[in-house]
Amino acid sequence: MSKLLKVILALNLIVITALVFIYPHLMVGPGKLIPGHKQLESDCFACHKSLTGADSARCVNCHKPADIGRLSSVGLPIIKPLTSVPFHQKLASQDCLACHSDHAGVKRFRQQGHFNHSLLQKMTLEQCQSCHKSPTDALHRQISGNCSQCHNQNKWKPATFNHIKYFELDRDHSPSCVTCHAGNDYKRYTCYGCHEHTPENIRREHIEEGIRSFSNCVECHRSADEPEESGKDGKRKKERDDD
Amino acid sequence: MTPSLWREHILPFSLVLGLLAAATLSGDYLLHRLDLVWVGRYLGIPGTILIIASFTYSLRKRKYIASGNPKTLLAFHEFTAWLGSLLVLIHAGIHFNAILPWLATIAMSVNVVSGMVGKILLERSRQHVLGQRIDFEQRGLTKAEVAQAVFWDATTLDAMTQWRKVHIPIFIVFAVLAIGHLVSIFLFWGWQ
Repeated sequence: MSKLLKVILALNLIVITALVFIYPHLMVGPGKLIPGHKQLESDCFACHKSLTGADSARCVNCHKPADIGRLSSVGLPIIKPLTSVPFHQKLASQDCLACHSDHAGVKRFRQQGHFNHSLLQKMTLEQCQSCHKSPTDALHRQISGNCSQCHNQNKWKPATFNHIKYFELDRDHSPSCVTCHAGNDYKRYTCYGCHEHTPENIRREHIEEGIRSFSNCVECHRSADEPEESGKDGKRKKERDDD
Repeated sequence: MTPSLWREHILPFSLVLGLLAAATLSGDYLLHRLDLVWVGRYLGIPGTILIIASFTYSLRKRKYIASGNPKTLLAFHEFTAWLGSLLVLIHAGIHFNAILPWLATIAMSVNVVSGMVGKILLERSRQHVLGQRIDFEQRGLTKAEVAQAVFWDATTLDAMTQWRKVHIPIFIVFAVLAIGHLVSIFLFWGWQ
């Protein structure tokens, strides 16, 4: 390689190196920043920490977690918040990058606008209605709380609850939820919410048949068409026969 | 240039180069189709490792290392540089974000093309022009007439012999730019 060529090469590389330091956002930045961060575009270390990438601790220097969704980074009230309820205060940890990315080139590789419920504090995680409004349809109007019985936290639909698995709601058994699940507690039920089934009535009929344990109705009666079914492993039948 | 030099030498060279371009576009398309675009981000790592591995031949040729069959190492150099370049090209995709990595990509591409000129074209073209000279001389043409008959082929050949003058300097440019890109990644990227 000739000396002249070496000098030309060296000069070119020096110019490129200088440009990297003068215009880092153009030379090495992976795309534009979001408009709100435009003034930071040539100050990489405003957000990045050497060798470890963008640093959440630097985000919260400007974006105080207690104010997110309520006040802007300069302390002004947010008139049109992006979410109906501020939730950043209820996050388990301040890992901003779990959801946010800034450079246009990085956003391309990351799922945008998808909230991950597992980032919430455990207590908040169980209080769906602190963020979500209950639907106003006939079914949901009867229910408050216990959303996770039917819905998971990844998607609202499909709701996976299958009532037949416990008790078939047929023509004779189509009451409102609270008739059986008092206080919208779907972990418990009672068959005595209906005038047809009174404790005395049920007790008498079962004693007549020699059945002494009858507090858990659906253990034997999975639908109105099963007047007398053996329970788990024929337990009930055996108890009766023994009598 | 005679049609035969184009058909027999330049065209096959173009096809091999075209194969690299087609493999790049196919790889990029597949990653997008399979929703695996994120994989492309990391293909730069194996690509870089392969290109560094290809450098073994250059070290052997300049006697920085003493062991290894040069012919085998040359084949290894050609294969790893081609495959490494393919991975880096897929890694680059068609996303224009920063200037430095794109300058590195352009330098790498020029490096690959100059390497292919040296490997595929040069020797075959030299044989072709030599064959033509002998053929014309046997037909009884004078030296001046032979020179005129093979003028364009000889000129093309002269241009191609300059490949090494491009290959080494552009490699240095590529190496420096690629190192700059790697340093910026290590400095700013969060490995998580």
